[in-house]
Amino acid sequence: MSNTRIQPRENASASRRAAGSSSVSAPRVDDPHSETAIHPGGGAHKLAKREVVLSARQVHKSYKKGKHVIPVLRGVDFAARQGDFTSIVGQSGSGKSTLLHLLGTLDSPDAGEIHFQGQRIDNLPSRERDAYRNRSFGMIFQFYHLLPECNTLENVLMPMMIGAGVFKYWLGRKEYIERAKHLIELVGLSHRLTHKPRELSGGEMQRTAIARALMAQPQLLLADEPTGNLDQKTGREILEILRTLNHEERLTIVMVTHDLTIASEADQMVRLSEGLVEAA
Amino acid sequence: MYKLLLSWRYLCTRYIALASIVSVTLGVATLIIVNSVMEGFTVEMHKKLHGILSDVVVEAMGWDNLVDPDWHMAEIKQTLGDDVVGMTANVRVPAMINYQVNGRWVPQQVMLIGIDDKTYAGVSDFSQYLLHPANQDQLSFNLRATGYDARLPTSGWEYRRAKVEYEQAIEDEVQRIKAARRVDLRQGEQSQAGHDATPAAAPEAIADESAFGVADAPINPFAAGRPQGPVDVFDPATEQHTGVVLGISICSTRFRDKDGQVKDYYLCRPGDDVKLTFPGTGVPPKMISETFTVVDLYESKMSEYDASFAFVPLSALQNLRGMFDPLSGVPSVSSIQIKLRDGANLNACRDKLRERFGVENFAYRVQSWRDLQGPLLSAVQMETTILNILLFLIIAVAGFGILATFFMIVVEKTRDIGVMKALGAPSSGVMSIFLGYGLALGLVGGGAGVVIGLLFVANINRIAAGLEWLTGREVFDPTVYYFREIPAIIDPITVCWVVLGSVLIAVLASVLPALRAARLHPVEALRYE
Repeated sequence: MSNTRIQPRENASASRRAAGSSSVSAPRVDDPHSETAIHPGGGAHKLAKREVVLSARQVHKSYKKGKHVIPVLRGVDFAARQGDFTSIVGQSGSGKSTLLHLLGTLDSPDAGEIHFQGQRIDNLPSRERDAYRNRSFGMIFQFYHLLPECNTLENVLMPMMIGAGVFKYWLGRKEYIERAKHLIELVGLSHRLTHKPRELSGGEMQRTAIARALMAQPQLLLADEPTGNLDQKTGREILEILRTLNHEERLTIVMVTHDLTIASEADQMVRLSEGLVEAA
Repeated sequence: MYKLLLSWRYLCTRYIALASIVSVTLGVATLIIVNSVMEGFTVEMHKKLHGILSDVVVEAMGWDNLVDPDWHMAEIKQTLGDDVVGMTANVRVPAMINYQVNGRWVPQQVMLIGIDDKTYAGVSDFSQYLLHPANQDQLSFNLRATGYDARLPTSGWEYRRAKVEYEQAIEDEVQRIKAARRVDLRQGEQSQAGHDATPAAAPEAIADESAFGVADAPINPFAAGRPQGPVDVFDPATEQHTGVVLGISICSTRFRDKDGQVKDYYLCRPGDDVKLTFPGTGVPPKMISETFTVVDLYESKMSEYDASFAFVPLSALQNLRGMFDPLSGVPSVSSIQIKLRDGANLNACRDKLRERFGVENFAYRVQSWRDLQGPLLSAVQMETTILNILLFLIIAVAGFGILATFFMIVVEKTRDIGVMKALGAPSSGVMSIFLGYGLALGLVGGGAGVVIGLLFVANINRIAAGLEWLTGREVFDPTVYYFREIPAIIDPITVCWVVLGSVLIAVLASVLPALRAARLHPVEALRYE
């Protein structure tokens, strides 16, 4: 796997490399708060000061169930740094998935702000947020969420099909298919190209989902309990793939999990409890 | 791209939705069939009406008030210019026909039409409905020897001679019997009177016999001066009266025999003599009766015409009715039929003629064939429209079926919709997946309907025959319609409209479910189990 290299998006990779090589460049002007609030945990091998790529400030979110309003997040601060593997842990109902959805623009907060690469993204029009989800964030879910009508290759190609218009996709289809096959090879599923999701095992489906998440060359991978539905061994394998991506491609990963052993291996661990960040 | 892919995949994997568009398919097929058959009827009827009526008719109010047709034709030619292709004058008078069936006279009411056999064929399709092939090329009011349509029993001179021979034979037999009876009678008298009668009584008896008309000419005092031979004596075996072409329903009945076969029985046929009685020109009109010989039958399959038209030569009718100015000898007619060139503006030409022959100066009616058959044409038009509306309602009902099915599919696909949104698909994209799906369903349903409909129309008579065989009931009754087969004409534009309409309904039915899909919140959709 080390010989494969995923081509990152040009502009994003340029800034990323700049951030990686000269750690003092592009000082964060908008978010000094998160610098102090978040302490990187267990990331000793990485550089101490890295640019915060995704952050949440005093995010509130509540759901209505009938007449009752149930607060899920009650002022959460969060920051993920460039190239870090950040894990979010917490009990069921602590709001960790909700936080991930907010970070991934799937939902918008009642109050507070979400920033991505220095830009506020929670209040953008839906079209632009769709574009962020399509190009900048790769998402992995606990239940894989593959499209049952499409085979492995088509599922992996889906972000490109969604992002590019018919004509553009048609022009670039060879390149896209090439990359999709490359990614499928990367996750070790070359022999399952034309299989439908129902013909795949849980681990295989999750690998497909990872390949799909990487397809659009995102700057950030958001994983919602990617191992939650898998046995320990398969979960390990999936985690290994994620870790390799983090190490070799310097891909920023934010992972929600309730497995503390997995979470503790991350560069940074954020504990959520009853809608608030617990002090580490 | 994903929209196309997913629409296509849904189409291929959701068979329940295909079931829901069967109603669209059937609706489209029915619409095409109904429209084709109605179009077939309409075109057939238009052809008939138009063919018989010609394009524009200038008709005098009164049977003989269009005086000097040549002047009128010149005026029409001048008014309409090159639009006129042909013109013919004719006389139409109500008349009574009498023909003999099994020795009884059968009267019937007819419309007697005097036509100019030279020009009439150029103005209307009249001649193509005649039953003798030679008359179809060029109408002649002379009886043909033989060769009439195979449906007719023996007709023409062949029949006429046979009939005359037969009648002569009967007559001879009657005379023979009469003569024999007279001889018997006389012999009886003689034997009775034998006792007291003198031989001088015998010549008297012979003279008596001549008074019955059996004896020969010398007794007739006027016969001596007349030239001998058939010059003045009408010999029905070799001569005919003025020809008349009868509408086929005037002299035939159509019925079913005990096996259910449709049979025609001809009460009179080419070669028979008929008597026509019609009014003269005087006031009050005197009845004129004349014997005509049926020379051909006319079958336009428009029962209205077939049951009432009798055509005779124009000049003969004019002579018999005295339709000439007593001083100048200028003839008069009832109407002038005008044929326009193809593509001429019917109504404009009619209006020009109306202006030329204004009501203030001429008591004429100028009408196009559409005006003349307006109520019938608009009735058929209305029937077609109502049928179309009803059938489209059926497709609209099918649309609600699609709506329900689509809602079901959207619910089933909730999670996938959430996934697509999580992958960055905009709401409009999700919406267009389902709209595209509706479109695809409409196209498939409509397309299948078109194929079924066209196949049905192409084999409609075979299908009717099959149904007949299956149910034992006649589907298409030729005694009712005067068509031997169901006419069907496929109009490509109608087919396009039908398909367009059905596809539109399918798309409209998918709008609401598609909107619902588009409005789904990605997080809730992803959580949906």
